[in-house]
Amino acid sequence: MQKVGIVGYYQVKLYSDANYGRYEMIFEASRGALDKAGLKKKDISTVISCTNDYYDGRTISNCFTVEVGGGYMADESKVEMDGAHAVLYGLMRVLSGNHNLALVWGGSMASCYPYHSARLYETDPTWERPLAYVNDITSAGFQMRAYMEKYGVTVEDIAKVAVKNKKNAAKNPLALKEAQLPNLTVKDVLDSGIYSDPVTELMAAPPCDSVAALLLAPEKQALKITDRPVWIKGVGYSQEPYYLGDRDLSGCKSMNLAGKMAYAGAGIKDPSSEIDVAELFEACAHEELIFAEELGFAKKGKGAEINSAINGDLPINPSGGALGGHPPCGTGLIRIIEAVKQLTGEAGQYQVKGAKKAVASGQIGMCAQNNILYVLEAN
Amino acid sequence: MSEEKVIVANKGLVRADFAFWVGQYLDKFYDGLENKKIMGNKCPKCGDVFVPPRKICGQCNVVIPLEENWVDLPDTGILKNFTITPYRINDRSSRKAKDWIIGIVQIDGSNTSIIYRLLNMEPKDVKIGMKVKIEWNENTKGDPSDIKGFIKV
Repeated sequence: MQKVGIVGYYQVKLYSDANYGRYEMIFEASRGALDKAGLKKKDISTVISCTNDYYDGRTISNCFTVEVGGGYMADESKVEMDGAHAVLYGLMRVLSGNHNLALVWGGSMASCYPYHSARLYETDPTWERPLAYVNDITSAGFQMRAYMEKYGVTVEDIAKVAVKNKKNAAKNPLALKEAQLPNLTVKDVLDSGIYSDPVTELMAAPPCDSVAALLLAPEKQALKITDRPVWIKGVGYSQEPYYLGDRDLSGCKSMNLAGKMAYAGAGIKDPSSEIDVAELFEACAHEELIFAEELGFAKKGKGAEINSAINGDLPINPSGGALGGHPPCGTGLIRIIEAVKQLTGEAGQYQVKGAKKAVASGQIGMCAQNNILYVLEAN
Repeated sequence: MSEEKVIVANKGLVRADFAFWVGQYLDKFYDGLENKKIMGNKCPKCGDVFVPPRKICGQCNVVIPLEENWVDLPDTGILKNFTITPYRINDRSSRKAKDWIIGIVQIDGSNTSIIYRLLNMEPKDVKIGMKVKIEWNENTKGDPSDIKGFIKV
């Protein structure tokens, strides 16, 4: 693959109820990324946005973001998935050879709409939706139980992921304040109230408000813009069947296939020794373990044995991950930005020492129906 | 952030209800439900039996002809998975006093599973692998609500 560099980024701080109009938030992110890279609006040759009509409460929601999202009289289109999928579209635009700078932005304000009710609209209106038993809440419960039953993983093993990520979030100034919990214990997580058994409230990524932006440029241009671009070395993506009842929820085959594709592109042979840090979009704590296993960091069912602390063998979600705040449509994009920060040494209190290679993932759908993985490398 | 937040609520000025045509396969399935019968259909290539029935086998990427490959199935199955929740999706703002137990059930003779409530059971009675049976609604209408849920056999 030709080299494409990430040359700038910006993330608005996560808020549970931001006092922003969404336009201000989109502008802060897209303008912030340009400013950080020392670029101007006219330097952008293509814009890819990521929002969702349901979450924005309007149809063709990107037609309202022309002025604030860098799309004024410019080439712009939308990906209605996760921000990490919008990056794939931006990457393809740059790889086409027609673009010198792609601006990718994504996010939403979950404080403005009932997120879990909106998720119901993913289900089949002619079969599962009328009874509303299948939604992101119950499906997370099924997924966690399937994983625990198959491999004998305990609720404590999964609660530890939440403890780690919420502690990490406390070191990340951009994480959601309510998710920054430096003194959290396993017992606190288990006692935090049943969300959908065995998932408790503190195991689930809290929906919140934010927008993030990323800039992509082809190799030559990237090196003109910055002396420390982060290179996209590989990308992979795959998806599972639609109906939850058709799937094996104890693992995540689509993440496994996405990983294989991304590793093949990047020439990764032994992920657990070659990857220095991972930022994985875990909608619930157990997904971090499932993904880590599918990506080859541990044997199946042994994800909890990885020392994934910031100073551990393979740090996972040092930023706090999605458990540190989940702005729908922005969360996977933020995982990529966090991986970039690790590779450029800009992660501050949660910096992984000497990180040279990272993976970052995004997802969309019930129980991570669709997964995308990037392999990133420092210059 | 400043203390006062001005909110404009959009209650929706138009009402636009959707009417989804379920398609020929689900139509036949719902006719079966109305008569308290479960029908699946079988992929002619891999042999997987689907409930609910469908036109395309995603794995084989082939059409399952509408006229053939229908399989009559019993109203019994195996509990594959379950979750217990105090929330209802359209009202997550408040917890309900009564938990719902929701199960994933594989109807005997099929390769896929369907999701319904488990009825007349306490959480301690629920075991993965247990045999369950459909509790039909007395007055069936030919839609997903004809299956009230699953009960212990």
